[in-house]
Amino acid sequence: MSPATARQAMPISPPDLPRTEAQPALRHKVLIRNVDFYYGTFKALKNISMPLHDRRVTAFIGPSGCGKSTLLRVLNRIYELYPGQRATGEVMVDNENILAPGLDLNLLRARIGMVFQKPTPFPMSIYDNIAFGVRLYETLPRHELDERVESALRRAALWEEVKDKLQQSGLSLSGGQQQRLCIARAVAVRPEILLLDEPASALDPISTQRIEELIAELKADYCIALVTHNMQQAARTSDYTAFMYLGELIEFDETERIFTHPKEKHTEDYITGRFG
Amino acid sequence: MPSEHITRAYDEELRRLANTVAEMGGLAESQLGAAIEAVMTRDTELAAHVVEGDVKVDQLERELDNLAIRLLALRQPVARDLREIFSALKIASDLERIGDYAANVAKRSIALSQTPAVRPVHALPRMAHLAQLLIKDVLDSYVQRDAAKAYSVWTRDAELDEMYSSLFRELLTYMMEDPRSIGSCTHLLFMAKNIERIGDHATNIAENLYYLVNGTPLEEVRPKGDVSSLEVIMPDRAPQ
Repeated sequence: MSPATARQAMPISPPDLPRTEAQPALRHKVLIRNVDFYYGTFKALKNISMPLHDRRVTAFIGPSGCGKSTLLRVLNRIYELYPGQRATGEVMVDNENILAPGLDLNLLRARIGMVFQKPTPFPMSIYDNIAFGVRLYETLPRHELDERVESALRRAALWEEVKDKLQQSGLSLSGGQQQRLCIARAVAVRPEILLLDEPASALDPISTQRIEELIAELKADYCIALVTHNMQQAARTSDYTAFMYLGELIEFDETERIFTHPKEKHTEDYITGRFG
Repeated sequence: MPSEHITRAYDEELRRLANTVAEMGGLAESQLGAAIEAVMTRDTELAAHVVEGDVKVDQLERELDNLAIRLLALRQPVARDLREIFSALKIASDLERIGDYAANVAKRSIALSQTPAVRPVHALPRMAHLAQLLIKDVLDSYVQRDAAKAYSVWTRDAELDEMYSSLFRELLTYMMEDPRSIGSCTHLLFMAKNIERIGDHATNIAENLYYLVNGTPLEEVRPKGDVSSLEVIMPDRAPQ
């Protein structure tokens, strides 16, 4: 299914979601339903249900070990790289359950891009860092590939800084630039969903602001899920926030509501720094 | 106030903020009491003392502003903590106005003491007593974070409004009957209006307290009893 077709086929009916206060005015790009996740016998996610709205940013917050990164990893089945890890339940992307067996995982990961906490540029040129992913899925004439690379670097607000040194190693860039390179790499394969796992936690404040500004721009085109330990970052960048604790979804709501008047005491205690 | 932040200094700063609000409130309340005493005993020295005392209320407000700005800048408060600081700022602004009104009553009492006493002055302590009670109760509700008590203050202000409307008519009648009393009665009228406004500020504080505790604003329409602004005043007809 092409991204354009996929976007047309989005469900609009509000799901049966416990403790969800947000208005179902937006289309759900992703609908997580009754998801459990196991690391071997340890149950790391317990019956998670929530939507991810299209062209909106949803932040996952919660203390270490609450399951927020695990949930992100479920969304592109990256956990399958490790033995003994499994997820049950449904993750509907448009109308398709991506947890179903038999799904082409390479195609799935082209639709759902991921950026990690630590910048992970490949040990190759800036150009090839971007072109690498594109070549995996498409065979483009050189000029089109050049255009795709430029467009991805522009989307990641990196073009002006690197346009004269595309053949230099991606590793020669600063931390913040490397992270934007990773975002460009993810964007280059034209995904529908972007998963960002603490994308700015290893960066200085200026680079962090650039990443946050980039997230604000990217949400015009993508459904974005963001895991962050930085609550102010969640407040600044997201439209929806999910607070998780010990593998459970405690509260999901509009970010404004979560940070001004959360419904659950647990959420309030966490965001106001009353328990660690 | 909920406590036990992981950072204890944050709790202490929030407590200091709340204590400053309470101190301001106590001072504003006693300023009003002293102002009324100055009116009734024609004690110009006490009145002057009240006027000077307003500086202290203003000073506390500045302290509170600084504390709040510091907390906002350094702690990036959210949820309940944010409402604590936001409410403290708004409540302090109401208390500062209450202080101003008390000082104004005291200032007018100095002028009033230069003229012969007029009968309607006796209605003033009753109004002031109720206003003081509203301030006291709303401050208690603040200290106890008791939204129900704040709500009761919010509704009881209508009584103060009615007292004011009644005194307004009485003063008009008095002035019509004896134009020589116009000077004194005008001062009294302003004093009564000041006290009526103090009641309004107590209701503002009650609304802020309600928001602080519940996280949602009090959206009902407040009962009001001041009809003096609708009064048609004709020189040849005494108000009803």
